[in-house]
Amino acid sequence: MTRDEIKDVIIEIIEDIDEDAEMDGLNPDEPLRDQLDLDSMDFLDIVMELRKRYKLQIPEEDYPELASLNSCVNYLEPKLKNV
Amino acid sequence: MADSHYSLIIIGGGLSGLAAGIRFARFGESVLILEKHSIPGGLNSYYYRKNFLLETGLHAMTNYAGPKERHAPLNRLFRQLNLSRKKFITHEQFSSRILFQNDLALDFSNDISLLKEEIAAKFPGSIDSFNTLLKVVTEYDPFTPKKWVSTRETLAGIITESLLIDMLLLPLMVYGNSEEHDMDFGQFVIMFRSLYFEGFFRPDGTIKEFLDMLVEKFRSLGGEVRYKSAVDSIVSDGKSITGVRLADQSQLSCDNLISTVGTPGTEKLLNDRQQEIYPLGQMSFVESIFILPSKNKSKSKYINDYTIIFYSLADQFDYCRPTLPIDPQWGVICFPENFHGLHRSDYFQIRITNSANYDLWKNTTKDQYKQMKEKWGRESRRVTEEIIGKFYQNVVYEDSFTPVTIEKYTGKECGAVYGSPLKIKDGKTAYNNLFIAGTDQGYLGIVGSMLSGVTMVNQNILSIR
Repeated sequence: MTRDEIKDVIIEIIEDIDEDAEMDGLNPDEPLRDQLDLDSMDFLDIVMELRKRYKLQIPEEDYPELASLNSCVNYLEPKLKNV
Repeated sequence: MADSHYSLIIIGGGLSGLAAGIRFARFGESVLILEKHSIPGGLNSYYYRKNFLLETGLHAMTNYAGPKERHAPLNRLFRQLNLSRKKFITHEQFSSRILFQNDLALDFSNDISLLKEEIAAKFPGSIDSFNTLLKVVTEYDPFTPKKWVSTRETLAGIITESLLIDMLLLPLMVYGNSEEHDMDFGQFVIMFRSLYFEGFFRPDGTIKEFLDMLVEKFRSLGGEVRYKSAVDSIVSDGKSITGVRLADQSQLSCDNLISTVGTPGTEKLLNDRQQEIYPLGQMSFVESIFILPSKNKSKSKYINDYTIIFYSLADQFDYCRPTLPIDPQWGVICFPENFHGLHRSDYFQIRITNSANYDLWKNTTKDQYKQMKEKWGRESRRVTEEIIGKFYQNVVYEDSFTPVTIEKYTGKECGAVYGSPLKIKDGKTAYNNLFIAGTDQGYLGIVGSMLSGVTMVNQNILSIR
């Protein structure tokens, strides 16, 4: 997957988790949780959804890597390059 | 030899089982719900009589929250189940009343300020201590498992007027306390928040539409439900559960098992356990339903303006199993049509709930049972009419259910709607892959039991903290 494709997947997953999520004005470098007012359960659903879709096991110590949209893409790019 | 294998089997298609099923189906592998009856819902289900759909259990849903209150339990639940909160139309209560000795009243609504004003007016000496209580309830963490703490002792340390304590406790106990006399303070906090801070509402449709929506969601995620499938026993190798045997003797295997039939009920299914560890709940109820035509509705302020009345004729309120078949001295009168914006129909209902003694209803002949139903129904009606005014002459249909009916249709031992007084907050059992969800895990009410299902799947099976 390209960086743009990964970004689209993340946005799609968040929109599915939270019908109120306003993705248009999102700053890709700021934490997702603060901008979207996600709680820890919502955030973990992103991890669960990635696990389900791509059989990706993301260890708990890596969760900070998923903080912002850009950091998600950076973290997932090597893991999803063959998808 | 097992006939089929599932990653997760759930015993019971009530609200906690359905919620657990949806949550697991969303991220896990194969999942099967086994329901003893021909329809889902458990305690909160429905039946038909004379073309009326009658709901069981549901007076109102608690835990009201508008769609924008993102962190409220109701909205978190919807997100966890991937259900649209926007499409879920809700109607808030008018207001409800706690009525003692037929003249001392405290009204409350979904806005806590009404209850504060009422207490300031009727218990002026206690308003400061009530505000202290609000602070305690807001700051307390009821979800981390801890030792049992007496609510009555805690409240007595905050509020000096014991009548006010009894009045505040009546709705919270009757809508969710499995213990007699007292309740665990953590449970009190959960109930206080869900009734007084959040409040009552109804979905736009009946409980049937709500259940249909959940079953449809579960199936759309690949989940399977089997109705009329009573579990005969749980099969284990001593340490782990390997599967279940059904009443028709077919066997199913599973990696994990969730039981929503209560701890005593689960224990019964585990044939290898000799000792009974879990105490049976003592609190059960008789509920009478009256259907009346909306035209020529009486002018009674209660029938028109109130959603639920929690009454006690006595000065003191003691929540316990009565020594008579029912105790009409205290109870609940509910008007299920009295919610803002609910479309009017040609008929309206009055529902009366009184505490009841399971043993007296159980150990009786068929004829005596019928006579008891009539006699005590009359008594409960008489007390209700003293409070809300005459209504019985206009009733076109009536029905009632007793602790025995509840036990038969919901599988709750002794008809104890709130289950065993001993709750298993983390859902864990002596078996590493058997978990308890629903009533005996400890979260109550429709929203609570569904959150129980979700939380048990998250913590124990998907391993999310």
